[in-house]
Amino acid sequence: MAEIAEERYITPLAKWSRVLEIFIPGYMFGKAWGIANEHTVDLYRAIFPGFLIDMAEGMKGWLIQTDSAPLERLFSTCSGALVGFLVILVLGAFMHFALGDRKYIDSLRFTSITLIPLAVMNGTLSHVTNTLFETLGGGETIETLTKSAVDSPTNQIRMFCVFYMLAIWMLGKRTGVVGKRRWFVLLVGIGFLAAYFYLGLGITPQEAAEVLPKMMAAHGQH
Amino acid sequence: MMIAKQKFVTINKWAVFAAIFLYLIGIFSPLKYLQPGLLFVFFAGFLSLFHKDYLAPKPRTAGMLWLLPVWITIFTATTPLTTGNGNPLLFLLSLLCGLIPCILLLTGSSEEKMPKRPRLKIVVVRTIVQSSIFVIWASLTSYCFIKGTRPDMLFWAAFHVSTVAIFPVFFGRAICGWICPNATMQDALYKNMTFKRPIENLPRAIEAQSSTACMNISGKVDARAPLFPATLLLSWFPMFFAETIWDLTGVAWYPIVFMYGLIVLSLVFKWRKMCTHFCWLSSYRGIGCHNSLWRIRYNRSQCKQCKVCAAEKACPFYIDIRNQDNEMPATCCLCFSCMEACPFEGVITYTRNPVEKARLKLEAKTGIIEPKPEATKAA
Repeated sequence: MAEIAEERYITPLAKWSRVLEIFIPGYMFGKAWGIANEHTVDLYRAIFPGFLIDMAEGMKGWLIQTDSAPLERLFSTCSGALVGFLVILVLGAFMHFALGDRKYIDSLRFTSITLIPLAVMNGTLSHVTNTLFETLGGGETIETLTKSAVDSPTNQIRMFCVFYMLAIWMLGKRTGVVGKRRWFVLLVGIGFLAAYFYLGLGITPQEAAEVLPKMMAAHGQH
Repeated sequence: MMIAKQKFVTINKWAVFAAIFLYLIGIFSPLKYLQPGLLFVFFAGFLSLFHKDYLAPKPRTAGMLWLLPVWITIFTATTPLTTGNGNPLLFLLSLLCGLIPCILLLTGSSEEKMPKRPRLKIVVVRTIVQSSIFVIWASLTSYCFIKGTRPDMLFWAAFHVSTVAIFPVFFGRAICGWICPNATMQDALYKNMTFKRPIENLPRAIEAQSSTACMNISGKVDARAPLFPATLLLSWFPMFFAETIWDLTGVAWYPIVFMYGLIVLSLVFKWRKMCTHFCWLSSYRGIGCHNSLWRIRYNRSQCKQCKVCAAEKACPFYIDIRNQDNEMPATCCLCFSCMEACPFEGVITYTRNPVEKARLKLEAKTGIIEPKPEATKAA
């Protein structure tokens, strides 16, 4: 049966697809952490887990320094993406243990594909933050920007939980994760989300109070 | 004037083309002018093309539908969506865009006969939803573009994610069949533009890989099976990369150019090839729609194996529904075209036939699978 099933999908391009399925969602998931600039980095540290932003900022120092804005964004994105891969590698190890029926590369694929909804949410958060900062003065103020970030965590948490749990459930169902293993996989997902929130996803009022003066000063220089 | 079915299609098709042309000129030229009536030309044109079999025998009814863009153009003559003082030439052309098909159809007659089978209500509802959503989407994006405001990105992101993560559980890939503006354009134009597409099929290796990716096959898949087509992953990466590097997300023209780019590509590729090989939303829904609550049911015991449902243009995704048993076809976009194409009652239905239900229950209990009446190619 396994041989028959394998014949259905082993095509010359299948191996490329399997590799890309790890890297592209990984890149999408992590890039948001790297694209903070000098003006928004404090806000990013408050919105996302601070150590991830610090890791991405540290990697930026490794990569070539340039004056070109697009090139800078390229390297920033790459540094964020590298942190994203690291997170997927670690989470993938837990998933591999919970899934228990496939190779590590397939557990990584499972992990990275289920992270796509979170990657979109992360990307949106970072892009909205950057765009709002760039357009400040056109009706937006630092206070409203920070207030909107402070007000949104509950919805943000709800959305992250629903999207991620559903993604795990649906992909588990499709790829034959049954019985106890599906619950284990869900537990790993819950653990990951709990860690993600505990480490600092979402800005707190205290963080907002700290970030606000820094942002105003940065915007003054901007 | 006699209006045969082909002529009816030609009138509507060229009116829609003219509207697209004027829309693009108005939006992307420095004029930044949009006549709201044009958006309703899309509505009337798409609806007429979707229902050509039923409206071609009654050209006057179609002509009445075309009054909608004409009246809206006239009523909004002084308040078009624009950054300047308007443009008399574009207004006149927009008016003609609705007026010409309206006059032609209102003054025309036809000898065409109505199809014997009435149109399914669900298909009527779907086509109205599709055309309306297209108008809303075109209005929103053009408004944001002309006014220079950015679309509410968080809202769109939540919309995208919810349609890939939540909707498929309940409605399968109905978004692809009912909501997506790119799909609406493809549906309306592909069925009515019979020219040979420049790219009918991608290279065989790509087609083989895409058709065996998890998003395109039904039921449970092996843990090692690729989930997405390689073409999608390869096109996805440069697109997001470019978006980040050149900081395009907040740019007002990006979403509109992106969507119209997709629509133009849809005219280069065969029907729904874009959805099959390049759309990540479609792919993610394809993974999640397994066992969705709303789905079509194929009742094998009632089927006469006439293969009408498997014919070209009966299904946008070329699914042979006869291969399905208890599983939702992964690519089914719930357009109900197969249900409408089937000449027999009770073969493709919303709820399962009790005989079929009993058979499936027995099969699940005993593990003995009843052979299919006829071997058909793999889904």
